[in-house]
Amino acid sequence: MSRRSFLKGLIASGALATLPCGLLLPRNASAAPFNKADFQIFRNACPRNCYDTCSIVTYVRDGVVRFVEGAPESTYTAGGLCVKGYSYPRRVYSPDRIKYPMVQDGRGSGNWRRVSWDEAMERIARKLLEIKERDGNLLGLALTKYSGNFGITNYGVEGMMSSLGYTTRLVGTPCWPAGIDAQNYDLGDMWCNDPEDMEKSRYVIIWGANPAWCSVHSMKYVYAARDRGAKIVVIDPVLTQTSAKGDVAWQPETGSDGALALGMARHVLDLGLVDRDFVANNAVGFEEFAAYLRQNVTVEWAAEKSGIPADEIRRVAEEFATARPATIWIGYGMQRHVNGGAAVRAIDALVAMTGNVGKVGGGARYGHLQTWGFNYHAMIQKAPAGSIGFTGKAGPKGEFDVTAGAAAAAAYTDRALNINKTAQELLDAQNPPVRVLWSSCKNPFAQDFDRNKLEKAFNKLEMVVSVEQFFTETVRHSDIVLPVTTLFEEWTVNASYWHYWVSLNEQAIAPMHEAKSNIEIAALLSKHMNRLSPGSCTYPQDIDTKEWMEKEFNKGVYDLLGITHWQDLRKGPAKAKMPSSASWSDRKFKTPSGKYEFRSDLCASHGHKALPEYKEGRKPYAPYRLLTPHSKFAIHSQFANLDWMEEFQTEPFVYLNPALARAKGIADLDTVRVFNPIGEVKLRAKITNTVPGDCLLMYEAWFRKLNFNVQNLVDDESADMGAYKTGAPGVAIHDQFADVARA
Amino acid sequence: MTTQKTSLPRQRAFLVDVERCIGCFTCAMACKNYYHQETGVVWRQLYPLDEAIYPHRERAFFSLACNHCENPACLNACPVKAYEKREDGVVVHHQDRCIGCGNCIRSCPYGAPRYNPVLKKAEKCSLCHERLDAGKQPACVQSCPVRALRLVDIAALSTTDAANAVQYPAGYPEMPQVNPSTRFIMPRTPRVVRR
Ligand code: SF4
Ligand code: SF4
Ligand code: SF4
Repeated sequence: MSRRSFLKGLIASGALATLPCGLLLPRNASAAPFNKADFQIFRNACPRNCYDTCSIVTYVRDGVVRFVEGAPESTYTAGGLCVKGYSYPRRVYSPDRIKYPMVQDGRGSGNWRRVSWDEAMERIARKLLEIKERDGNLLGLALTKYSGNFGITNYGVEGMMSSLGYTTRLVGTPCWPAGIDAQNYDLGDMWCNDPEDMEKSRYVIIWGANPAWCSVHSMKYVYAARDRGAKIVVIDPVLTQTSAKGDVAWQPETGSDGALALGMARHVLDLGLVDRDFVANNAVGFEEFAAYLRQNVTVEWAAEKSGIPADEIRRVAEEFATARPATIWIGYGMQRHVNGGAAVRAIDALVAMTGNVGKVGGGARYGHLQTWGFNYHAMIQKAPAGSIGFTGKAGPKGEFDVTAGAAAAAAYTDRALNINKTAQELLDAQNPPVRVLWSSCKNPFAQDFDRNKLEKAFNKLEMVVSVEQFFTETVRHSDIVLPVTTLFEEWTVNASYWHYWVSLNEQAIAPMHEAKSNIEIAALLSKHMNRLSPGSCTYPQDIDTKEWMEKEFNKGVYDLLGITHWQDLRKGPAKAKMPSSASWSDRKFKTPSGKYEFRSDLCASHGHKALPEYKEGRKPYAPYRLLTPHSKFAIHSQFANLDWMEEFQTEPFVYLNPALARAKGIADLDTVRVFNPIGEVKLRAKITNTVPGDCLLMYEAWFRKLNFNVQNLVDDESADMGAYKTGAPGVAIHDQFADVARA
Repeated sequence: MTTQKTSLPRQRAFLVDVERCIGCFTCAMACKNYYHQETGVVWRQLYPLDEAIYPHRERAFFSLACNHCENPACLNACPVKAYEKREDGVVVHHQDRCIGCGNCIRSCPYGAPRYNPVLKKAEKCSLCHERLDAGKQPACVQSCPVRALRLVDIAALSTTDAANAVQYPAGYPEMPQVNPSTRFIMPRTPRVVRR
């Protein structure tokens, strides 16, 4: 179906008939004096799986969100948001928002028609009861959900599934699993220093992260460190915006990070700059690691693998080892490789052997879940009596698995499919096959790999339900769409996996149109399930999203945040009270040995090397490396579709090096085809030396008027690690290859 | 509207610290967030520096809005006195007086006034004067996550850490007649080590 007929369908169905954007009238250019008293002020929090998880202050007048700011109470956001955060008022009032439940007669036909919530839910409930009758269980119902909305109460989506019985879950995470496992092997947990203490660092290496685009509020700590004399080194195959702000920008061979880290480690060893006290008293296996380095690693070898000259490696390694404290920010980009987990372990080792683990201003920074100790009340629901489920290998888990242990005792589990191979898993699942797919907080057609295969997988499904705010490609491939609330229309709470602030999200306005929150949707489904078949769903049938907030908090969270009641957060976000801004400051690691493990037998028992040894990368399957990282204008497929964002980002481009462009006869802004065995995209080219000569770069995005989708070109090859902590290995998003030609 | 205070700055201005600026467009969107301009109307925009000025494409930017010039071309060209130069230097466009003749749009050498196709009038950044008067920072300045955009008083500039700021950096038109107030700190480049 073309975009045009899709839009026509919307118009016919009335989806474009009313323009709520009319609520958000432009201000007069010579505006009235500003008076805070003219507004009602609410607390919100950005739930979009971003390092910064900004605390928002929302100004409402006459029930309309007029503008947003960053909360001044959080030293992290310090009164500001990012470009995406400031576009929120448009998001909530976008004319493109899905306004009421709709049914598409013929998936992909664009023949949408409005239905009532009751009709939509009755349809879904009848279908679920039918497949349960047919299969004798509900494993034919699958949930795909990830991080489109990280508000804690949104775990009610998982809870809704549990309350129906045992279902199929797409588990794992496309984001950061290889590195999570790596840090768990080395340290016993993924736990990073407070980013605010980066300013106390004397040497900062930002390795495969691009905070200038993806964590703007962290940049002030990088600058503060530099203002106090620290050197900033940025390592990335692309000369990113962060690279441009560093003192030194290394552009190594993509995927050579492990070799580089090991080469640096070898040089530190040769110079005798190892923190002997740390490796002797707080670590195990260092001598074996040192022997591995002496036997297998030289700086010249690392130089050859990475393309970074040996003298340069020596220089930075020596500077890093002698500047104390020194820190490395390990980005999620560099672990999205078939050797990504091994690379993170090598970097961890470099930080540890120089004695920088457990130190204020030091640390191998990756992420943390210290502030995520909520009750997950919305998620923890019982299966109806007599439910039949999966008996086989252990059921699903995720990185926020809070039901571990409880599930072990049950006779049945849910069925787990690897979220990073969604298309293949949906095609392969048998006894029963997946018949109904429920998608929420996620846009599979923008996030799941090998889009052509995904089309085939969706074609096999009997019913697709998506819970959305916009007519995404996934909605286009759905039978029913349910409109979901934005952050301004619901109560929830948000924590970051990077900084230590926790923010309340208040309901600031009544839900627009007929939107409902995910937990209200669960309650409504429960009502319909039980009406048709009493006892078929255990989810509560009436929900006050504010009352449910109470149920998510506990004494642990209160004590950590230094508050006595969650309503205290209405005064502003609260920061976790940690014994030190440094993780592991007591050097008590959560590994089996209780020490930092240069040698991890657990890692070896999971089929990897015990030591952080070098692992080869993926063999190319097309002539050029294809990178599809994050843009500054979007979080995955979110935000790029707003007309306000289109003012600043009009279209996607493929960025390529002048030498490659010359070789291919491509001029700046020419339309080109980027293609590989998985698929093809057509877009215009920008020629730039920020991209290496063997590389094609396209940023992830979803444009409402264009067919652009990076998942046309990305296959589902797995990363080395991730299964241990997140239930499925990560995905080698950056081990992709493609060719380019003038269109 | 203009309250005379002895301590009032004589010429408020944007200081654009390109060395710190990460080109994140936050300031530009913060303006949109506050004023909800019509589609296609942008008061603050980010301009990537040409590779002849900064050797890496789209890695250094000028964040620009109205310059609140000492001798505003827009004000001088306006037939109905829709423009006002306040005592603190802020050039305010009073849209209620504007007849949409477009003279200001044509005469501003920096392209600051924009045409509002719905109201059929001009409009531009008036330095969030209504926020300034309430003791708040301009929306764009408050939003900048790295303090790359600051509000300064030109008279006091020489005594601050921005004493080395320049008025006419490469790529920015030199217009001494209007004497634009914006000041710039230029970016530096990293030592790039490529394979
Ligand atoms: S930049 Fe243009 S609009 Fe602004 S004061 Fe100067 S001449 Fe007027
Ligand atoms: S000062 Fe105010 S009006 Fe001017 S660009 Fe900044 S936010 Fe926009
Ligand atoms: S918000 Fe600050 S850093 Fe971002 S583009 Fe504007 S001036 Fe530059």
